[in-house]
Amino acid sequence: MTISRRDLLAKTGFGLGTAALGTLLGAPKAFPNFAPKAKRVIFLFQAGGPSHLDLLDYKPYMKGRFDEDIPPSIFGTQRITGMVAHQDRFPVMPTMYGFKQYGKSGQWVSDLLPETGGIADDICVLRGLHTEAINHDPAITFIQTGSQLPGRPSMGAWVDYGLGSENENLPAFVVLNSTPSNGMADQGLLARLWGAGFLPSRYQGVQFRGGGDAVLHLSNPPGISREQRRGQLDGLAAMNKRLQERVGDPEIETRIAQYEMAYRMQTSVPELVDASKEPESVFKLYGDDARKPGTFAANCLLARRLAERNVRFIQLYHRGWDHHGGLTEKLPVLARDIDRASAALVTDLKQRGMLDDTLVIWGGEFGRTPYAQGPSKVNSYGRDHHGRVFSMWMAGGGVKRGFSYGASDEYGFNVAEGGVHVHDLQATILHLLGIDHQRLTFPFQGRNFRLTDVHGRVVKEILA
Amino acid sequence: MHWLFILAALGLMAQDKRVDYGRDVRPILSENCFHCHGQDDKKRMAGVRLDVAGASLQRVVARVSNGSMPPAGSNRKLSAEQVAVLKRWVAEGGAYSQHWAFVPPVRKAGGSIDGFVNAKLEAEGVRANGAAAPGVWLRRVSLDLTGLPPTPAEQDLFVDSVKKKGEEAYRGAVRKLLASPRYGERMAMDWLDVSRYADTHGFNNDSSRSMWRWRDWVIRAFNENMPYDRFITEQLAGDLLPNATLEQRIATGFGRNHVINSEGGIIEEEYRVEYVADRVRTLGMAWLGLTMECAKCHDHKYDPITQKDHYKFFAFFNNVPELGEDGRVANAVPMIQAPTPEEISKLAALDKKIAKMKPRVRPVEKVAVPEGMALATDKTVMIAKHDPVTFAFRVKGGADRELVSSIDYTRNMAATTYGRGVDLRLAGGEIEFRFADRLMAYSIRVVSEGAGLTEGRERHVTLLYEGAKNAPDAMRAMAAWVRVFVDGREVATRIVNDGLAMPDVKGDKPSAYKFRVGDVGGATAWNRALTPAEIRVVAGLDSVDPGYEALREERMAVARNVSTVMVMEELRGKPRETHVLLRGAYNSPGDLVEPGVPESILGAWPAGAPRNRLGLAQWLTKPDHPLTARVVVNRFWQQFFGLGLVKTSENFGLQGEFPSHPELLDWMAREFVDSGWNVKGLVEKIVLSETYRRDSAGSYAKDPENRLLARGPRFRLPAEALRDQALQFAGLLKNQVGGPSVFPYQTKDLYKGIVVAADYPGTKWVDSTGDGLYRRSLYTFWKRTVPHPTFTVFDAPDREFCIVKRSTTNTPLQALTLLNDPIYVEAARKLAERAWKEGGSSPASRVGWAFRLTTGRGADDLEVKTLLATYERMLGVYKADADSARALLGVGAAPVDASIPAAELGAYTAVANLILNLDEVITK
Repeated sequence: MTISRRDLLAKTGFGLGTAALGTLLGAPKAFPNFAPKAKRVIFLFQAGGPSHLDLLDYKPYMKGRFDEDIPPSIFGTQRITGMVAHQDRFPVMPTMYGFKQYGKSGQWVSDLLPETGGIADDICVLRGLHTEAINHDPAITFIQTGSQLPGRPSMGAWVDYGLGSENENLPAFVVLNSTPSNGMADQGLLARLWGAGFLPSRYQGVQFRGGGDAVLHLSNPPGISREQRRGQLDGLAAMNKRLQERVGDPEIETRIAQYEMAYRMQTSVPELVDASKEPESVFKLYGDDARKPGTFAANCLLARRLAERNVRFIQLYHRGWDHHGGLTEKLPVLARDIDRASAALVTDLKQRGMLDDTLVIWGGEFGRTPYAQGPSKVNSYGRDHHGRVFSMWMAGGGVKRGFSYGASDEYGFNVAEGGVHVHDLQATILHLLGIDHQRLTFPFQGRNFRLTDVHGRVVKEILA
Repeated sequence: MHWLFILAALGLMAQDKRVDYGRDVRPILSENCFHCHGQDDKKRMAGVRLDVAGASLQRVVARVSNGSMPPAGSNRKLSAEQVAVLKRWVAEGGAYSQHWAFVPPVRKAGGSIDGFVNAKLEAEGVRANGAAAPGVWLRRVSLDLTGLPPTPAEQDLFVDSVKKKGEEAYRGAVRKLLASPRYGERMAMDWLDVSRYADTHGFNNDSSRSMWRWRDWVIRAFNENMPYDRFITEQLAGDLLPNATLEQRIATGFGRNHVINSEGGIIEEEYRVEYVADRVRTLGMAWLGLTMECAKCHDHKYDPITQKDHYKFFAFFNNVPELGEDGRVANAVPMIQAPTPEEISKLAALDKKIAKMKPRVRPVEKVAVPEGMALATDKTVMIAKHDPVTFAFRVKGGADRELVSSIDYTRNMAATTYGRGVDLRLAGGEIEFRFADRLMAYSIRVVSEGAGLTEGRERHVTLLYEGAKNAPDAMRAMAAWVRVFVDGREVATRIVNDGLAMPDVKGDKPSAYKFRVGDVGGATAWNRALTPAEIRVVAGLDSVDPGYEALREERMAVARNVSTVMVMEELRGKPRETHVLLRGAYNSPGDLVEPGVPESILGAWPAGAPRNRLGLAQWLTKPDHPLTARVVVNRFWQQFFGLGLVKTSENFGLQGEFPSHPELLDWMAREFVDSGWNVKGLVEKIVLSETYRRDSAGSYAKDPENRLLARGPRFRLPAEALRDQALQFAGLLKNQVGGPSVFPYQTKDLYKGIVVAADYPGTKWVDSTGDGLYRRSLYTFWKRTVPHPTFTVFDAPDREFCIVKRSTTNTPLQALTLLNDPIYVEAARKLAERAWKEGGSSPASRVGWAFRLTTGRGADDLEVKTLLATYERMLGVYKADADSARALLGVGAAPVDASIPAAELGAYTAVANLILNLDEVITK
């Protein structure tokens, strides 16, 4: 008989939002805990581990030290992966790319990311991120769920659970995936990255796909038009309603509502994903790739359209950043894939006055080693995974602009100052959404679990 | 509000009841106090301990009353009602008692399910529903016991039989359902979730594994009503039973169903430790109802499980010859070959034939053998994984040693390419063949059986790697290409590992392998597979019985191609030591521990039981074990009623919920054990009870979750049953128990943008053809990182870890699936065809027939009218637009019945599509 508001919420889909049921049950809304700065999040996740040293973390000290050994005082007790365990040396591998200062803020950004340089005054670069994980699966699972192992809800699911949906016709947590233009997606993604873990499964992210139906089985079967479907649904609703009167189970009422919601999605989703009516200026901004469904650029534009419709958590994944070897051939391709569109998204949101309450995050699960993996030359090298320090940027949603926080040491190896652990990043994202990360908990197996486990510090230094 | 509910439910509001420590007080203390004042002495504040008798209760109550405890900032606060409970408890004497679930259950004499349930209803003043109509009960019990609804004919027969035989008819119906092979399939469904069974390894490569032989073991165990104590024992320790049978060894696959990581470069020990921890977690959830993993890093915050206890359990599972990184292309070690019953009889038939053969020895025919390459140290041989290669040499039996090898064993073992090469060695008088990208995980390892190379006499050995010439598909096990001949006669082999990554044929370029040649004579290699006749010549055999040899070779070919299954084994030699891992970290060993259990809380170790997994099983299945039987019967109850008597079926610890009917739970637990752990017996008692038979209509607002059991259970069907019943209605369901997993339709590019871009097995989904499209859903290939959406949308888990309870959600995506997923559209069409042919000749009789088939009851006039309205409207549409009708009928692989006019069939399909979405149809 101990049925709580959450138990009820847990069962229903996004058709009945938190607010509606909260009112229904007369329960106070627990979240947000305080006035949010960001109403929504767009996480541009770069899966595979983009090299901080070649993109966002300028290390002039390394220049000219090619092939020198990294001093043991720096190397410390680094956990190294099996991919370099056989190497007898870990020599310095400076970046072959130039870095420039951009904007009034003078942020250093690699020549591979000129458009990102162009938004230097809008972004906050974090250069002291760190993680314990040294392999893809645990590292990416850690960022998205707070644990290196399967089983926990993803960040978007937590946010959906806490804040619910603000759009009656769309899910609160949408996932968009893209593959690199060179086709080299060495690492797989995992349903658990947008899964609900031990939260009820309705909180799992809904994948919007680039080809075919944007949402699985959204279209009616061939030979059944929208009008005919309406007729079928009317008959279905009438019969379900009669059953409800006879049986009294409120589940039936919810089901009737969900079928109506599904019917509305059949128009709201195609309208949403169809960017063809966007003005030419938009495609100029995002680049021509934005016309090709399923590319990172198209997904960035779609993210903006989702944000306009108040979708709460928009999670993009772009794969292909795992550059153990041949980094110097692959990284420029990946940088081109994402640079213009990421910057365009920030600019676009800003022009529409939405950047203030939309938090955009760009980054991957870890950085890459300051030493080379395998044979290396000044202009041809690869790098292994590196979790001791890496970089990300954030924009909008209550974060300082034209700002940077944290730094690596002169080898780009360890955090020198302003360290931000993965749990700190999670605590900060939740904070910007008006959520106290220590209070967003779910009882499971007798314990109150949370995204940040028993850790997490809100990085107050970057709050606007 | 929350607490008022609970207090009301427990009847505590009535002033005549005394406060019960376990039921009323401990939950408050556990939630609010034990975190800092519990058994974890590292976290204990001010030395005050509240989880055991002895604290100054007056002081505690005073501090709680004035709000100074729990301290500000702890995010914990007691409600006024909770404080009142504590005050009354102290006033009544403040007696402590052991947590109810740690005290062995006591069977109340004269008990029965209905007795306990009705007593509680009476105490609460709630009137129970009457019995559901016999037809309704039959549908409910058929769906619950077999996952499939009864046919209308079965229903009619049953209703008739109830009239004639009354109660006996119910018993007969249950017996029939329990005897159906479908019963084992249905019962297995829930156990596959608990056991985290899947067809891929998980993690980001997520390639295939082959565990279906274990899955079939589970189905068979339920169908044969294996006593549940044996069900536990064989899965935990089948390999340790005296004279363990093949099936008992297969059962231990339970311990290997966890995810396995093949990501290049991981630190092996980090993951090996996780696998062991997963076994402890699963054991805890599945049979103890305890959250063991809470004690992985520190003493449990709530339950009396210390970190040391956790690692004592860990020690039972820490002695498996397994690897941290494994499973990139196939099963991970240890594995065994697990012939199916069909394969076993095939082998037996061949054995019989071989035994009966009359010897006909002839001189060996001197066929010409093409010249090979003489092998010498530093000589290279070009070998491609798809192409055949043969090695031959003479060797003296004796000590273990390397014979012919290209593997550099001096390299750093942590490197991702350690052990690359081809290797032939002598081990225990047998020939071992290794072909590796990386040892030990990514290799073929095959060992001869019965080569007898123990004495000093020189023998001739030929190793044949047949390559792809015989491989019909890329999924075929490569280790089956390895054959060993001694003195020109083939000997049997055993597959130790079969994990060599297989490039596709186009990408497979030969590589140079530089060999060392050891203490052997006449070492030669051929870039082709020698035939047995050629091998006899090479071996210098004088005479042979070619017919006999051919039969033996045929038998060995069958044996080689038997599929493998991962199993539990114990390391040979010195057992692996287990240490407490500080903070749970694999590289921070603390105190050494021995295998053991928390005896002071959960009962003594059985006298004389071995300190291994077998002893652990004996301890778990002790008749007076406080948890095992309670946890198990509670989960069966949950399967039928949606919620367990203990709602937190995953947690019977201090933070778990007090049972709604404690005496019933205990009575059932004892009954279960005393009946010899008889699952079918327990199930029969439940479904025949008045409680289960009740009508499910009623006032849901008063008791939304039906904790008082005044109503019969009413729930949306699980994902698998939804599809299975749709296939049955459509006449499409192909019933066949067991076998390799199948690939029913899935959206074509579902894996795009998600799955790893490597050619590992399991990275591409190719729809099955024929029967494979229509098998029961539990046989669907379960890919952990991208599970089949037709099931996950209805709350099926991804099976990455043990879960004991699915959520039951109600979402728009479910509506889209049932309306539009080709699986359901095709089922609607085939249902329409059946309605046309079997449902009489008028539209009214046909829609009525389909309604009856799917809901199990006759439609009333209004329902018929509603369905007919859809029929007439759609008929008009399709008469005017035949193309649309044909487009709808074109969904799905099953042939369209051309004898039915397309417009009519289209219109009935639209009606069937509606029917398959009715709440009444998708709900039990």
